[in-house]
Amino acid sequence: MSAVDTTTTQSRSSSAVATLQYEKGRSNLSRSMARLRRHRMALVGIGLLIFVFMFVLVGTLLIPESQSTFNMPSRALQAPSAEHLFGTDVIGRDLLARVVYGGQISLFVGVTAVIVQMFVGTVIGLLSGYLGGVIDSVLMRFAEAMLSIPQLFLALIALRIFSDPTEFPDFTFMGRQYSATMIVIVFVIGLTSWMRVSRIVRSVVLSVKEQEYITSAKSIGAGNWRIVLRHVLPNCFAPIMVSATLGVGSAILLEAYLGFLGLGVRNPTPTWGNIMGDANSYINQWYYWFFPAVFIMLTTLGINFLGDGLRDAFDPRSLR
Amino acid sequence: MTTYIIRRLLQAIPLLFIISFVLFALTNSLGDPLAVFAESRQRPTAEAREEMRRRLGLDRPLLEQYVVWLIGNDWMLVDVQGDGTVMEPGTRQGVLRGDLGISFVTRRPAWTRIEERLPNTLTLMIPAYTITLILAVGIGVYSSVRQYTFVDNLITGASFFFYSMPIFFIALMTIYIFGVQFTRWGLPALPIGGTGDGSIGDLIVHMFMPIFCLVAIQLAAYVRFVRSSMLEVLGQDYIRTAHAKGLSEGRVVSRHALKNASLPLVTLVGLDLPFLLAGAVVTESIFAWPGMGRLFIESFERADIPVMMAILMLLCVMVVVFQILTDIVYTWFDPRIRY
Repeated sequence: MSAVDTTTTQSRSSSAVATLQYEKGRSNLSRSMARLRRHRMALVGIGLLIFVFMFVLVGTLLIPESQSTFNMPSRALQAPSAEHLFGTDVIGRDLLARVVYGGQISLFVGVTAVIVQMFVGTVIGLLSGYLGGVIDSVLMRFAEAMLSIPQLFLALIALRIFSDPTEFPDFTFMGRQYSATMIVIVFVIGLTSWMRVSRIVRSVVLSVKEQEYITSAKSIGAGNWRIVLRHVLPNCFAPIMVSATLGVGSAILLEAYLGFLGLGVRNPTPTWGNIMGDANSYINQWYYWFFPAVFIMLTTLGINFLGDGLRDAFDPRSLR
Repeated sequence: MTTYIIRRLLQAIPLLFIISFVLFALTNSLGDPLAVFAESRQRPTAEAREEMRRRLGLDRPLLEQYVVWLIGNDWMLVDVQGDGTVMEPGTRQGVLRGDLGISFVTRRPAWTRIEERLPNTLTLMIPAYTITLILAVGIGVYSSVRQYTFVDNLITGASFFFYSMPIFFIALMTIYIFGVQFTRWGLPALPIGGTGDGSIGDLIVHMFMPIFCLVAIQLAAYVRFVRSSMLEVLGQDYIRTAHAKGLSEGRVVSRHALKNASLPLVTLVGLDLPFLLAGAVVTESIFAWPGMGRLFIESFERADIPVMMAILMLLCVMVVVFQILTDIVYTWFDPRIRY
């Protein structure tokens, strides 16, 4: 890393052409990434995330999916042993398999919910900031209205409305059966958490809108679409990346809370949250709730470390 | 200043109307509230249920139901039989006249449900929040003054750790250690749920674990916040000037730094305070604490629309009020701000 730095600095001082190449070769993004690589906490975060991801991936390859739903009440609530490393749950399902396959769903829900959230938040933020006027005040009042209700309450209500099993039956994908609540929960989490993103995007748009290059783009006849997509949106990249990263953490936590209250993704699909929800009545059996909770914690911890690192890396004022 | 407050209040009114309509539409699509009665022991006949539906106005279009919810129906006639034979005047006064409706489940005013639960939630949330704030300012300031020392790194690491922890994990672990294992080891164990037998001493014993969990979770976020806003202020020129004038370290930190760093904290507290009324859904359900969070879940599960609307609207009004209050307090803390 430092070797690359010194060579580029040397070539920078040698000639003007090299300076140009230096600026070209090291864009804002790559400089930010270099800062990220020096951020110790971010590296720990990436390490944690790789660990969780590998656990789920290797687990998926080693343990067949049927293990996570196969129940045998005669072996219910066994403490961890060589045979069942994480023990068994109340109807004798292997908890290791359930944590692995629940992890798939929790991570999937976390990431896709954030994609929905970022998409909606960015579109609303762009519209609101760029168009201004009545549209701006209507959209921002709406965002304010949604912010004044606890997200858990909103998500609970939305989840109940859209999780009618007759309208959204279980579906089969690649030979496995999933509960449709899994897809519903992605949209519920995404659509109840876009408000902060749209505010951030809006504020970036407002500050960029008055810049001279926007005026010059307008004067050469660029359309609104082109201006927004080519000149305004790239400026939102850094704040969107930071809030998307942190958003995955809060989406996974929200899914866990909903599952814990028994109102999240329904059986047969396991998630870290609904395993915890089942385990709530079996506090004495520590292994039942301990392992899914540890994985929720490791994931959110990794994401928070990484998000913090990204924030420092994208912030040009940051010293580290 | 007065015109500013009046303008803010006027802006808040349409906002509250929008929120209330959206919430009304959402809560009303949760399912049939009368389904609860179909499962009860004294199952009403289908006719009786239809009559109840008409009396409650649930057969009317959503917009009309919303208007009735807002301004009541004592000025119009309700067609009880559904065929225009028996017309009774309505009995509801509407939210705008302070009538939050009758709970579908308990048949008592929705407000009495809240009155029963709100004190429970506040006995939990106010001490927890106060302890959090005091500790957060103490730890945050200490950590910022000793930036990048071992203790600071330890505090930062710990606050990240707790910040990422789902509250049910802490709650289940404290129950497992102090409730379950202490009993096994023959140590005096803490009770694991409920509010006790009604005596103050027992209540306090029951409050230990939930408050510990709430503080542990909230503290992490607040410590990080206090630390970062202190660090920002400590880098300012006037802090160097204060040092240069020969002021003591303690005086610089308390009078010059903390006072300025507390401005963003005021905003955060102002935005968080109203949500204390909502209670802590997960904590309350783990510790079987009969507070507002539990009340919301209970009414949610039985589609008790009036109680849910009452809780949600109480929250929204408080959020709006506290936003305005925060702005007013702000001018008091920072004389540079004028409206």
